[in-house]
Amino acid sequence: MTLDPAIDTPAKRPTSVRGPRVATDRPTKGPRRARSALNAIAALIVTAAVLYAAFFGAGPLPALGPAFNPVTGAWTMAADASISSETLHLVGLDQPVRVTFESDGTAHIVAQTDHDLFLATGYVHARFRLFQMDLLRRQGEGRLSEVVGKAALDSDRFELQLGLLRTAQLEWNAASPRSREAGLAYAQGVNDRITEAEAAHQLPAMFTLLGYQPKPWAPIDSLIVKGDMTQTLNFTDTPLVMALLEKSLGADLTSQWFPILPPNPQSPYDPGPYPAQAPPAPIAAVSQVSNSEAVAAADVYQRLSSLPAGLVATGGDSNNWAVAGSRSTSGGALMAGDPHLHLTLPAIWYQLTMDSPGYHVSGVSIPGTPVILIGHNQHISWSLTDAQNQQTFFYLEHEDSAHPGQYLWNGAWKSYQTVSYDIPVLGGPTDHLTVKLSVHGPVITERGQTTSVWWAGNIPSQDLDVLMGIDQASDYQQFRDALRGWYSPTHNFVYADDKGNIGLISAGYYPQLGAGAQPWLPMAGTGENDVKGTIPYDDIPQVYNPPDGIIWSANQRQVTAGYPYYIGTASNFFDPGYRANEIHRVLSQGTKLSAADMMALQTDTRDYLASEMVPILLKAIPNSPSRDLLASWDYRMEINSPAATIWWTFWQSYLAATFDPYWKSRDVKVARSELNDALGQDLEAWTLGDPTNSAFTYGGSSNTSSDVMRIAFTSTISTLTKQLGSDPNTWTWGRVHQRVIENLAQVTGLNYGPRPDRGDANTPLAAPNFPSSNGPSWRMVVDWGAGTFEAIYPGGQSENPASAWYDDRVNTWFDGKYAAMLTADQASGASGSTAWTLQP
Amino acid sequence: MDPAAVRMVATVIVALIVSVAGVVAGAWWAPFVAGLVIGVMQPRARFAIPVGAAIGLIGWALPLAGLQLQYGAGSAATSLAAIMGFGHQAAIPAILTCLVGLLLGLTGAWLGSAARTLLSPLPPFRGEG
Repeated sequence: MTLDPAIDTPAKRPTSVRGPRVATDRPTKGPRRARSALNAIAALIVTAAVLYAAFFGAGPLPALGPAFNPVTGAWTMAADASISSETLHLVGLDQPVRVTFESDGTAHIVAQTDHDLFLATGYVHARFRLFQMDLLRRQGEGRLSEVVGKAALDSDRFELQLGLLRTAQLEWNAASPRSREAGLAYAQGVNDRITEAEAAHQLPAMFTLLGYQPKPWAPIDSLIVKGDMTQTLNFTDTPLVMALLEKSLGADLTSQWFPILPPNPQSPYDPGPYPAQAPPAPIAAVSQVSNSEAVAAADVYQRLSSLPAGLVATGGDSNNWAVAGSRSTSGGALMAGDPHLHLTLPAIWYQLTMDSPGYHVSGVSIPGTPVILIGHNQHISWSLTDAQNQQTFFYLEHEDSAHPGQYLWNGAWKSYQTVSYDIPVLGGPTDHLTVKLSVHGPVITERGQTTSVWWAGNIPSQDLDVLMGIDQASDYQQFRDALRGWYSPTHNFVYADDKGNIGLISAGYYPQLGAGAQPWLPMAGTGENDVKGTIPYDDIPQVYNPPDGIIWSANQRQVTAGYPYYIGTASNFFDPGYRANEIHRVLSQGTKLSAADMMALQTDTRDYLASEMVPILLKAIPNSPSRDLLASWDYRMEINSPAATIWWTFWQSYLAATFDPYWKSRDVKVARSELNDALGQDLEAWTLGDPTNSAFTYGGSSNTSSDVMRIAFTSTISTLTKQLGSDPNTWTWGRVHQRVIENLAQVTGLNYGPRPDRGDANTPLAAPNFPSSNGPSWRMVVDWGAGTFEAIYPGGQSENPASAWYDDRVNTWFDGKYAAMLTADQASGASGSTAWTLQP
Repeated sequence: MDPAAVRMVATVIVALIVSVAGVVAGAWWAPFVAGLVIGVMQPRARFAIPVGAAIGLIGWALPLAGLQLQYGAGSAATSLAAIMGFGHQAAIPAILTCLVGLLLGLTGAWLGSAARTLLSPLPPFRGEG
């Protein structure tokens, strides 16, 4: 331990020895001083190292002192996990508020004023989801680098460029008195919790481990969180993809394979009649993408591709439907909704009921926002799916060296506006970003051709006010009127009420461009292609009490070929329609339906595409054990089904055998797999009705769809034999298809799973990808006749991994079960409930 | 009992109280200060350094034990282990926590002791002076 022997025996008093001076082996003063100094230096170095690690952390370790202090550090998650009945005092409350928690953490807030309701909601959200809320606002505000370092810098730069922050500021400035009051009260509640947690040293552990404290919540932060969701669901890059395809694959094939109208049979929910005017013209096969435009498209495409998942919308996977009272066993309207999103722990949803003089609503909210997004009140219920219409356009700005810093628009040179940002970066210098803005939106690249992006999410809107209106609506007219102000993301809002009515309206902004514009590609920004307005509200897709008593949406194109407005191409970015087809097939069978039928359909794994393709495949291939498995299959993607594995692998092989030769020979820069949804629609349509399509004859062969199917099936058996063994009976779906629910902070140790799971990208119980991390984020089934409301989401109410409410609902969700959505009164009397009294 | 020994025992007890109370109050570095004081006051390094380490260890372990008794720390330990990349090895965060406390006390005492030795006049050898 010590280097200096003098330290081991420093206190020995020298004994007085008489007699002659004798030689001694004790060190002389010089070496002793040196050893003491050495010891001090060693102590200093070791102490400095320990204190440095304790104060600042080392490598991947956080600052050990504050992080692991048992009383105020990350260990406080143990105390935070313990919820008991108590009285709390909140600044800003007008009257006492009661919050009851069911045994699974579902919160029931009963307030005596609307103001107090929103304040208490903010407090409860922050109590259980503060770190998630902070991450969400940081993402939208471009402030992730400040706490995680330069790894997040690309995301921050992109967000500040795109402009969620600028839009939120404009929205707040124009907020209605109602939403302004709600936003302010909600922020007060969040800040009450931040203050309380800081005083009690009980901030969520991730703040402690990352070594920062949350700044106060502002109402604008709630608008940023809403903007995050808008971006995730509706900011797309498909015009860039189309430009790259046209440049490499060729104009002819691009226009044939990626048309406006879907080539395959689909089930639009709104069959018309539509306004009397001509539908938009199909995509013309004229090459028009220049080299510089292709460079710009490639640059932006690569940049967007390298961003973290979720910042760019890549497809939709949500279901909702309703059944009129005339078609239900209970005699009341039925409604089902299951929005499919990235499944995370904590979940995007927080379940609660909100009761006050103005609101009586139950459902799920997004932490950070003061309203319930999906749910029901005393008279109506609603859910939503993404409508998928094109809300993102790219404009090629015309510039000239004679007019530096300007672009040509409507015949005149205009100067770009600029906005500058400083982005603090943990462990590095502050990054400076200047964003150029044209009339179309932010300039997103200046490589090749200066390109700006117009995005409906950047139109200031009053979506919170709309949601407050929905929460308070008591009939379809009020519901529809409230949605009139909804802009983005465009959603299919399904509706059912206590009087047996059902409805579906795809509310949002449908940009309409000048005549001749080709919005599926980047367009000239000189004015003629600008967004001129939106489709009139009465003309957007919608139905109310249809004659057959059923309505459904699953991200499919909502309207038929006769619809007179352009709303996007088949690949930009509507769903291929298999889930919608399957839902429509089940609902239209003519029998009376019950809530149990709704639940069964939400968890159904029947692959509609397989039901179309497998019978044709069976005719094309010779007898074999694998063929026998397919022949006896019910098209359900169940864990123990080997046929499911064979089908899925075959379909991938079929796509590859058909399209990969074109991709390889033409050096297409967009991954073919990224376009499987669009190409799959073509392949399905050709196989069903055009088996001699020229796409099958690459290289001068005379192949038909049957020939390519045989080739693909042979490849499938070979692949599966190598991967899973020689016995096809053992090729069960659960061996290759798993589900994982990822921790939001990307701590893999806090993930749930992966575990084998059923479903695929095409089944009502959606489970795309391997392992699948997307799917039904909330399942709700309402039976107005029976007065039952049941729901579940895969997660838990608390973000605290030490809490029993972290992932306690996941197994129930996996099992396809639901929990009753109780009222506050029912919750108070339920076993295991606890209650807070919030006092002013 | 030797008055010096009494003073030393009292010092150790006070240091221990300061250490635990400091940690409970959020002053996680209190064991370091307590160790430093022990190191400066106690002339025998062989005594001061282990005592400082023990004070640091107790200063952090005692509140941890209190947490365990009051709320149960197992789930938090498992979560911390997962966050730190140690899977579900719940013992590791607990050991690391105790180790941090021990090191704070130990380094405090060592530094104090070393400083004392360096700054105080050396005792004369036999025959010197």
